[in-house]
Amino acid sequence: MSELTQELKAKIITQLNLEDLTVDDLDDHTPLFGDGLGLDSIDALELIVMLDKSYGIKLSDPKEGRKVFETVQTMADFIEANRK
Amino acid sequence: MTKPIYIHGSGCVSVQPTFEAGYFFDHVTSYTQNPVPALDPDYKAFIPALQLRRMNKSMRMAIFASRMAMQQAGITTVDAIITGSGLGCLRDSERFVEALRTDEGSLLNPTPFIQSTHNMAAAALALSLGCKGYNMTYVNNANSFESALLDAMIYLTEHPAATILLGGVDELGERTTQFWDLANYLKRDDATIPTPLIEQATPGEIATEGATFFVASQEPGDHTFGKIRAVETRLEVDAPEIFISGFLQRNGIEAETLDAVVLGYNGDSRYDEIYRTLGSSLFANLPQIAFKHVVGEYDTVVAAALFLALGIFQHQHVPQRLLLNHSGIPPILRRILIYTQRRGQNHSVILVEK
Amino acid sequence: MTPIVPIAVTGMGAISAIGNNVTENFRSLVDSKHGIAPIRQLDTWHRERLLAGEIHMDNAELYDRLQLSREAAYTRSTLLALMATKEAIETAAFKPGDGYRTGLISATTVGGMDATERYYDDYLVSEKNRSFIQTHPCGYAAEQMGKYFGVSDFITTISTACSSAANAIMLGARMIRAGQLDRVLVGGTDCLSRFTINGFNSLMIYTDGHCKPFDENRNGLNLGEAAAYLVLEAPEVARKRMKSPIAYLTGYGNANDAFHQTASSDNGEGAYLAMRRALEVSGLNPRDIDYVNAHGTATPNNDLAEGNALLRIYGSASAIPPFSSTKAFTGHTLAAAGAIEAVFSILALQHQVVFPNLNFSQPIASLGIVPQTALTEQRIDHVLSNSFGFGGNCSTLLFSKDHD
Repeated sequence: MSELTQELKAKIITQLNLEDLTVDDLDDHTPLFGDGLGLDSIDALELIVMLDKSYGIKLSDPKEGRKVFETVQTMADFIEANRK
Repeated sequence: MTKPIYIHGSGCVSVQPTFEAGYFFDHVTSYTQNPVPALDPDYKAFIPALQLRRMNKSMRMAIFASRMAMQQAGITTVDAIITGSGLGCLRDSERFVEALRTDEGSLLNPTPFIQSTHNMAAAALALSLGCKGYNMTYVNNANSFESALLDAMIYLTEHPAATILLGGVDELGERTTQFWDLANYLKRDDATIPTPLIEQATPGEIATEGATFFVASQEPGDHTFGKIRAVETRLEVDAPEIFISGFLQRNGIEAETLDAVVLGYNGDSRYDEIYRTLGSSLFANLPQIAFKHVVGEYDTVVAAALFLALGIFQHQHVPQRLLLNHSGIPPILRRILIYTQRRGQNHSVILVEK
Repeated sequence: MTPIVPIAVTGMGAISAIGNNVTENFRSLVDSKHGIAPIRQLDTWHRERLLAGEIHMDNAELYDRLQLSREAAYTRSTLLALMATKEAIETAAFKPGDGYRTGLISATTVGGMDATERYYDDYLVSEKNRSFIQTHPCGYAAEQMGKYFGVSDFITTISTACSSAANAIMLGARMIRAGQLDRVLVGGTDCLSRFTINGFNSLMIYTDGHCKPFDENRNGLNLGEAAAYLVLEAPEVARKRMKSPIAYLTGYGNANDAFHQTASSDNGEGAYLAMRRALEVSGLNPRDIDYVNAHGTATPNNDLAEGNALLRIYGSASAIPPFSSTKAFTGHTLAAAGAIEAVFSILALQHQVVFPNLNFSQPIASLGIVPQTALTEQRIDHVLSNSFGFGGNCSTLLFSKDHD
């Protein structure tokens, strides 16, 4: 599991161009949106593209993304449950 | 008619260290390449990392130049933002075209599409300043900045109490530069900055990028650097001399009362002849100044000429490397005319006074 | 603020998915004949999958109608613009070069991108299409238009996403007021492109079916292509020429939402400010407005923001005048939207009708506002037309009836 979260953190940093962050800076349970990391709706779309391209999981409704992208941990859990 | 507007601050990002405190073209960075990207100032001084990550070069340069101008003017808010850009956010446009050409049908990253919108620099400015006022972007090739300037003058006549940001920004692409080369716009083997002018000029431009922004209002203030009296543009002219004379006449000015002229020589021998002719006729007895040979060529580079003119008023000095002739420099420099064109089109004249 | 002297509109031209000229557009609106269909012409992966408002004329036919040499490089947006401007000049009945200072202010977001995206790799390997390289910049179309029609006193182009044409119209009026021009052609153009179709699709706001403006179950827009231009003149110039205005531009306003790069604030701050400013410029009250031609793209975000803005202006759902979005007819025509909808607003004034908002069945639950769903004849003196774009750029135009 922690290998996936590490991998996810690296991908999030690259995909969202979070230049100043390292994988160690990102906690598994920090809220990614709102008050935590402060990501927004465009980031959510980018994460949907990442889910599709890197893990073969398609999210057709952006609203579904809210729950999935709450934290790195929830993302990892979702990927584990749904990856092809 | 429109009234003059006063400039209280300016900021410039270019291939020269124009954003460094105290810099005024006393030294010039040399290049032997084409295109030449703009130098990057420390963007983080004005832009938090979380915002910076989603900013392309146009947005970064525009925000930096604007903040410099606002700092100089001693303000933290503006009432309106008026910008010009010939090609908008080119790099993101390229990225999105490349993505759709390979991946159309699968999920595409939305960020390059959003960022490619031509008014994104103006939007980024509005967002970073929380400015809900009038916000406009002109994309009019080499007259983009001049359109923004004209709008600014009209806007300030309509809103005499307002303070605004006015600027021009253009960024380089990658594939687009290759297209320009194929279209024979660019210099090839002999590309250098400073670019040889007049007798030493050769065909082609040096493509660069940059952003120059100004704080303007209708009222002179404690820190006013100059005022812009008038601007005119014309896509094509039969005789530049007649175009410029007409402009001077409409503004009640004789050419002899100008203290200097800034000309848009860019070292492209195919199109610089216009300036030579003017230099030996209408402007024969005036100090003639060039700027594109040190900052290169892009659609909104004329904003850098305005930055230069205001600097000349401030320092009461014409940088040696920019002076083309040896006509006597008047003891006080008070009135400058800027005339440029690009590839034989998009002529513009701007009248600036101290 | 003292209201402005109304600016005369003396001519207009339009081409869209619902008609090749103003009269055809009007007939389609009246007959509820929309132009949204599976993409047929554009060579895209999304052909036959996504629906759009395509103009059923290929570029070759446009070249012929405009009598252009096939050797010259004209992109589709420019061709459409030439068609619409031709009609505008004809209906305004003037000849460029007649002694009045005449300008051209155009608007586009696509520019020459339809050619760039097609020849992106080809340019590198073949000389054949390189004459199109120069057509890429947004400002190029207006330059070609100026040369084609002999308009040269002032030319510029605005690009502020979906509010572009409304801003072009606004600048035209302001330049006439400022004494810079006597007359100005103003409007916008955007053709369909893979760039914009894929762009809106990547934002997940392109609907699978037909867009449903202001509907609770709306899930995105359809794109469309169009060009539309108005002729604005100083009223005394129209009088001297003995040309009766077809309408007046009595108000305009632009504001920035300053909330997010693409999304509008839920309470529609930018939209609210733009409408307020247009009303202030005109000296009219909100209750003087008889019809609102909404931006109404049918994205979840826009319609909510715009709806909230309307409620803030009017105080309650019942106080909002009849309103509709015509985007279910034409699609969202991006930079042309402000202009094609200005044409529709003027048609509403000329014919005293409110056009229907198609595909509506359920009001947005949190707003409770209901658009006009049937063609309605009523007295219309003043129309508000909204256009809101990316980058928070919000513009509103106010057109008033010619009572002469």
